[in-house]
Amino acid sequence: MSAIDIHGHLGTWSDFFVPEPSAAWLVATNRRIGITAVGVSHLVAVGHDTAVGNRMALAAAAAYPEKIGVWLVANPHRGSEVETLDRQLDLPGVWGLKLHPDVHEHPVDGPGYEPFLRLAAEHRAPVLTHGQTRSPWSDPEAVASVAGSHPGVDLLMGHAGLWPDGFRRAATLARAHDRLYLETCGSRLTDAWLERLVSWAGPEKVLFGSDACFLDPRVGLGKVLHARLGQEEKELVLGGNARRILGGRLSAPRHAGHDDEGGR
Amino acid sequence: MRVVDAHRLLGPRPTGPGPDTVVELLDDLDRLEITEAAVTPSWMIHGDPRAGAEYETARGLTVDDELRAAAGRLTLVPVVVPASAGTGWPASPDEVRAGLVRACPVRHRFDLLGPTATAWWHALDERGVALAVDASECGLRPVAALAAAVPGLRVLILSPGYRELRRLAELLEHAPRLHLETGTIIAAGALEWLARTVGAHRLVFGTGAPVWDAAGPRFQLDHLDLPRADVARIAHGSWVDLAGEGTA
Repeated sequence: MSAIDIHGHLGTWSDFFVPEPSAAWLVATNRRIGITAVGVSHLVAVGHDTAVGNRMALAAAAAYPEKIGVWLVANPHRGSEVETLDRQLDLPGVWGLKLHPDVHEHPVDGPGYEPFLRLAAEHRAPVLTHGQTRSPWSDPEAVASVAGSHPGVDLLMGHAGLWPDGFRRAATLARAHDRLYLETCGSRLTDAWLERLVSWAGPEKVLFGSDACFLDPRVGLGKVLHARLGQEEKELVLGGNARRILGGRLSAPRHAGHDDEGGR
Repeated sequence: MRVVDAHRLLGPRPTGPGPDTVVELLDDLDRLEITEAAVTPSWMIHGDPRAGAEYETARGLTVDDELRAAAGRLTLVPVVVPASAGTGWPASPDEVRAGLVRACPVRHRFDLLGPTATAWWHALDERGVALAVDASECGLRPVAALAAAVPGLRVLILSPGYRELRRLAELLEHAPRLHLETGTIIAAGALEWLARTVGAHRLVFGTGAPVWDAAGPRFQLDHLDLPRADVARIAHGSWVDLAGEGTA
């Protein structure tokens, strides 16, 4: 069973030491354990410089075509970057937009994200957002309100709400919104919680993510592989849902090179 | 490969389902191909260990009954409460009958380095008994202070987390009797990095299930990019060195 990791990163981070931040390590590890492709945002883009970090992610995708996809980070305080992302969103290897409302300290349903969400809709690009129960920036209710106000966007709630006491609510919201999905990474989500998420939200609403290189992709994958799910459910979670949502964005590069990656 | 989970809870919890029974726990171990486990009964953590006999009478089942039902696959890691004025449990470290005991200083509200507890740790050290403390409960600072105060005591740090690698590496470098339970050390490549930095003999496979995930760490163990001998040491060898053969 080949898996698609819908939530990954590259690079180092301010908060703690990351032993293996490189694309080379991630791709090699994924190859050993059966992850076909991983979508990454670069932590430089998440953390402090969206333009440069996004270019770093694009360079990694160019170095590892079809193994690494890119979530371009949108900074709600830099609306002028909409134009750059407009040029980058359909580049080969780009999977969609990444929002991190907690790092950027802006509510996911706030005005700073509006132009980026409209852009995603125009490009038919999925959006992956951090989702954290009780966060003033990314509580699942707020994520769901974005799904309600942008019904044309496939919206992936990273970490499925992150904290165990919020999983049930996140799953209920995902079930209630056609294009709102849950992603599985996080240190608090056990295989037993994953089984419940699938049961509550439906197997077509849950996607495997690892949070590499914050977290080890082997840990995230093992959680799904060992979960007591049916074969069909497991296939949907591990890749079927990702393939359906990403569609052509997963396939071979539509044009070679990154000379036109924009924003240079 | 023999795999010992050094950190398991058995019994009902206030915040989520468990394995409540030995049968359920063994089923879970079988599913994940975990040979044996070191278990702490949930009532020793979520209740006052002093009231254990009353609880066991009420439910009609003792820890010894549970261990017998597991046919040698489970080893008890009892919780101790080293406190004064008759508030602790057991009454004295002389009553400890285990290779590894666990202390919960925050949950049970005693000072890990108070005079009573410190005397206990010296006594356990003399008897060759190791101590487990949960870093997700009390943090690393008290553990560092404990290692400095009782340098001979072997300590297993449970659930140290994936964000503390800098502190952990420094701590282990300066406190050679400290060991790490691996279940929450899940940053990318962290176990290989620690094995190279402090040695596989300092790493003890464990999960902390059901509070923490067991499935991911178990899969990771099978796919570590380490020499086979190092993987075996993490999987069971370090545990045997710490708690003794015949325990789990």
